[in-house]
Amino acid sequence: MAREQRTERSSFRRYFPPKRKVCRFCQRNIRDIDYKNVDILKRYILERGKISPRRVSGTCSYHQRRLSTAIKRARILALLPFLED
Amino acid sequence: MTLYETAFLISPNLEEEAIEKVISQMAEVVKKNGKLINEDRWGKKRLAYPIQKFEEAFYVFFMYEADPTVPFELERRFKQTEAILRYLTIKKETKEKARRKEKEAPEEKSLPESEEIPTEGEDTGGEAEEEAVEKKEEEEEPEADEEEEAVEKEEKADEEASLPEEKEKEED
Repeated sequence: MAREQRTERSSFRRYFPPKRKVCRFCQRNIRDIDYKNVDILKRYILERGKISPRRVSGTCSYHQRRLSTAIKRARILALLPFLED
Repeated sequence: MTLYETAFLISPNLEEEAIEKVISQMAEVVKKNGKLINEDRWGKKRLAYPIQKFEEAFYVFFMYEADPTVPFELERRFKQTEAILRYLTIKKETKEKARRKEKEAPEEKSLPESEEIPTEGEDTGGEAEEEAVEKKEEEEEPEADEEEEAVEKEEKADEEASLPEEKEKEED
């Protein structure tokens, strides 16, 4: 039973390999992420208001660091929620 | 001289003249000992969460160049003024901190340049979690997987089987 499941999954991965994600800020050559730019920041928070992890959004470590400080600053000014339900 | 940016929220129950007054007061504090570069007003804006039971506030941003005493003085004033709901001062980076990688590999030209950053949408949530689970399971039994892969590769070489066909074989 377990064996069958696994083979199915591994063959699935062979036919549909995971998409390689690229950091969008690097693509656009953006260095600084402004905390006032709420429209962009909103794309990087999950529905509960959490900062989206790197493995989800594909951001590089440099921009993830910038992004997280920007989001935290925006939260202080009530531009973004600390938590959302 | 350092480049600072100070943002503050003014309570929405003030009248426009009073708001004007508060802003000009603060602007003067900056102008006395520094250079006010830019003053930005967003007007009344809805807050993401209530602050002191207010649902909206008046947003003002100051960009200025000054010695570190100025932001201290500003913040002291903010604390005294009741109408200020929230403030935030940050130091703007003026130094060009070059990233090492960019120097080494200036290959950004080849990347596609679309104007908008595409939104991730729904695929941010569920898919990634699935991936994580799959990776874990693969790690658990790597040897067995390799064997099976070899077998499956042979089958593949014989005929390029699509997914449903392969399933049938396994059932046999």
